[in-house]
Amino acid sequence: MAKDIEKTVTQAAPANALEAPFPTKRMLLNLGPSHPAMHGTVRAVVELDGENIRSMKLDIGFLHRGFEKSCENVTWTQVFPYTDRLNYVSSIMNNVGYALAVEKLCKLEIPERAQYLRVITSELHRICDHLTLVGAMGLELGAMTILIYTMEGRDLVWDRLTEICGARLTSNYARIGGVARDMPDGWREKVEKTLDQVAELREEVGKLLNRNRIVIDRLQGTGAISREEAIDFGYTGPCLRATGEPYDVRKASPYLVYDRLDFDVPVGSRGDNFDRYLIRMEELKQSDRIVRQCFEQMQPGEIVVEDYRYVLPPKPEVYGTIEGAMAHFKMVMEGIKVPPGEAYSYTEAANGELGFYLVSDGGGRPYKIGVRAPGWNMLMGLPRMLQGKLLADLIPTFDTINMIGGEVEQ
Amino acid sequence: MAEETKPTAPAAAAPKPAPPPGPPPPRNPGFVTFTIDGREAVVKPGTNLVEAARSVGIDIPFYCYHKRLSIAANCRMCLVEMSNAPGGKLMPACQMTAAEGVAVRTDTPRVKDQQRATLEFLLLNHPVDCPICDQSGECKLQDYYMQFDHLRSRLEMPKVEMRKRVVLGPLVVLDEERCILCTRCVRFMREIAGNPQLGVERRGNHSYISTFHGQELDDPYSGNVVDLCPVGALTSTDFRFRGRVWFLSSARSVCTDCARGCNVFLDYMRETTFRYRPRENDAVNQDWICDQGRLSYKRFNEGRVLKARLGRGSSRAVPRAEAVAEAARVLRARAAEGKLALLLSPAASLEDLLAAAAVGRDALKVTEAYVGGRPDGRQDAFLKRADENPDRRGLELVASAFGFPLRPFAELARAVEAGTVQAVWAVGAEVPEAAAAAAVARVPDLVVQATNAGDLAAAATVLLPASPAPESDGTFVNFEGRAQRFEMAYWPRGDSRPHWALAGELGRALGLVARWPTARSVHEDLGRRVADRLGDFRWDSLPAVDRRKGLVPPAAGTVDGRLPGHRERVPLDGSGNVIWDRLSQP
Repeated sequence: MAKDIEKTVTQAAPANALEAPFPTKRMLLNLGPSHPAMHGTVRAVVELDGENIRSMKLDIGFLHRGFEKSCENVTWTQVFPYTDRLNYVSSIMNNVGYALAVEKLCKLEIPERAQYLRVITSELHRICDHLTLVGAMGLELGAMTILIYTMEGRDLVWDRLTEICGARLTSNYARIGGVARDMPDGWREKVEKTLDQVAELREEVGKLLNRNRIVIDRLQGTGAISREEAIDFGYTGPCLRATGEPYDVRKASPYLVYDRLDFDVPVGSRGDNFDRYLIRMEELKQSDRIVRQCFEQMQPGEIVVEDYRYVLPPKPEVYGTIEGAMAHFKMVMEGIKVPPGEAYSYTEAANGELGFYLVSDGGGRPYKIGVRAPGWNMLMGLPRMLQGKLLADLIPTFDTINMIGGEVEQ
Repeated sequence: MAEETKPTAPAAAAPKPAPPPGPPPPRNPGFVTFTIDGREAVVKPGTNLVEAARSVGIDIPFYCYHKRLSIAANCRMCLVEMSNAPGGKLMPACQMTAAEGVAVRTDTPRVKDQQRATLEFLLLNHPVDCPICDQSGECKLQDYYMQFDHLRSRLEMPKVEMRKRVVLGPLVVLDEERCILCTRCVRFMREIAGNPQLGVERRGNHSYISTFHGQELDDPYSGNVVDLCPVGALTSTDFRFRGRVWFLSSARSVCTDCARGCNVFLDYMRETTFRYRPRENDAVNQDWICDQGRLSYKRFNEGRVLKARLGRGSSRAVPRAEAVAEAARVLRARAAEGKLALLLSPAASLEDLLAAAAVGRDALKVTEAYVGGRPDGRQDAFLKRADENPDRRGLELVASAFGFPLRPFAELARAVEAGTVQAVWAVGAEVPEAAAAAAVARVPDLVVQATNAGDLAAAATVLLPASPAPESDGTFVNFEGRAQRFEMAYWPRGDSRPHWALAGELGRALGLVARWPTARSVHEDLGRRVADRLGDFRWDSLPAVDRRKGLVPPAAGTVDGRLPGHRERVPLDGSGNVIWDRLSQP
């Protein structure tokens, strides 16, 4: 019977059938917002010519929460939980970015230990962020194992972050003038052990992916963008560095204690998906180094500034002295008073330059907050990166630009 | 300059010590020109430095200073550096007047340190009372502590304890521990109220504010000392422990208790008015209101008529539309017989009266109006007027604009008794005398628009619920003929509507074209008739309140310059006008 079929096929097909132009027709494909590969809830309307993408339109807004406007209705301190929901995969970096912007307006110098704690928690969250990306990418390329491995690593880090800030996802850890809590006892040892475990998982994932034929075929040369175009689109972070531009805010304009830390900035050359993936893998390693160095360098000390204009007094002061009671009352009821003016402050978040533009009218609430979310620019470049490319390339490209709905749609 | 002139001085002059250099000639004749923190200020001679600094946008902190009181300079909060100070001492800005060419500094480390030290002393014996203190949220100690001190306490011994609850009078309670002895209250009673009932007793650390022994603080203006008190020492028995100021919102209103029309902030939460605070108006009430007016807000909360009712003595509430239809039927019939009388209350706003007069004339062929209103009360030489109706002049203007002769209430009673009047349409149920009211109450058909329960409302055959001042916007014309706007604080309570809206509904039921969606439209439509008597009054004379900048109540617990509480409960359009359409129609 099999032979019969073979015969029929051979007979039916003309000799040059494989070379004949395959008649295609244009098709509009609606990808998302609930497609499992369009994580972050974004909708892409793809115009297909056969399997090739002729053009593409992105439709965002499904996660829009009015972040910037909401912030105008709460005190400066109450903005922190909102920033958690920007890039929710690495919330502490948003906390820190916002806190630095407010401190720039207030001209506050925060204690050294708080700076180290901010760097440690930020870099731990960078590890979470990159692990999430690699895992999701692996999953969508068909490698479920990768997701399992990276999620294991991420959960280990989350456990450590839970110990210091009390939440897995929405950390709300930074404060204007410092951080919310100091390290619990024995935390350093735990973190170092976790970093060892994560390194092991990272190596494992690298072995599984780096020389994997399927992965290379799907990633190498796909979703490429040139250095010039990337700069034009405003790319920052790993996506920009993959094109060969070595821009990293931590090096270009060091904040907190990054100038005291020894770490490398990996740079790619082709700007394609594979480079972006490799850079993330390398940055996992560098973040590991940074955290360990911080533990070596940091000294015991205060974790918030002692200034009753910006930081709540300790409770014995609040209950026992009128000065403490007044400071507490005024800060809770009216918010800290940030000097009038405007400031733009930028940090290297997991996806690139996270900028906060703040305007204060001297009151207890922000007059205006603007966020430069790195993911926005990456997403806007997506149609350009995929023009004329295969539909199948869309999935890994969407993965490696690591669009996070929370920050793209504020 | 003196050295330059020396050689040219006549050599023959007797050798005597050179006179001290006089003040330099004024750079702006008639004014004093000097600098504050490098900014040039040009002020009238005699202006003190606090006011002069304010004129160039610099705030000098103070507790004891008040521009309408004498200078005490005892709080030491306003000390500044002056280039002409003897020995380079810090000088109290409230007491020092501006002098030509002087350089004043308010931002030097010395001044800042002095402000911090002053606050530290003021707070030294201050109890930890913020959670239970009525002033909390509008307290100058809190404000200045955050602005000028913000350091921790260095007190290592127990605080001085004094009396926490000294009842000074029917309206004022003193907490001696909170008092900073600025003596604003003492000076107010002596200088403004002209009744020196308060003084400072004993000395130094033991001083406290007190009345003379055996007397109490019972002056009719005593309530103002509560507003004056920059801290929580003097609290009002009426407002004490009733609400936290940061939950209150403020509307700019006009006191409705006498013909003076004192400007007030009406502080409210949801649908309840909590207090009046005087609102500054140099021409009317300066910074003060009388105690009777201060407590008169209660009639907005208590004894209100909130449902329409049909039938004399009936307690059956009916939908307002039904009552309006019945009122229209009765009034039309009686108007056709020529036995209808229109009773206008001088307690209603100008817009209320304009709308009622227009409907009466156009739909009911009314040609005259009777005047109701509250009976006369006490009058004094300061603010309080005997006439306890806020809009009598407005009523007179409306009557003359519509050509209505005004007739006294007693005449209406006689007309009812004589049977020449068979129906009364009362816009406002305030009555000047009970006996005449009882006579009027016997009229066969009595349509009453009432804000509060009373004799006339009880006797009404058709009772329509009306809204008082906080529930509408409008205008009162005070006894001097000064028209003053008040703004809406909250929506009309229950089924009530302002008199102008009820008149409009009645007019529609009587076949007139509906034309007044808002109080503003009443004013624009009918106010032209009285405009020539209102001087330069404009409806927009009360500027719209910007949520952040602009007019902010000086004392209320504003967060961040916004009006406190839930001002958004009254929907305003872009120009600050109430959007009445949002009010659901029955």
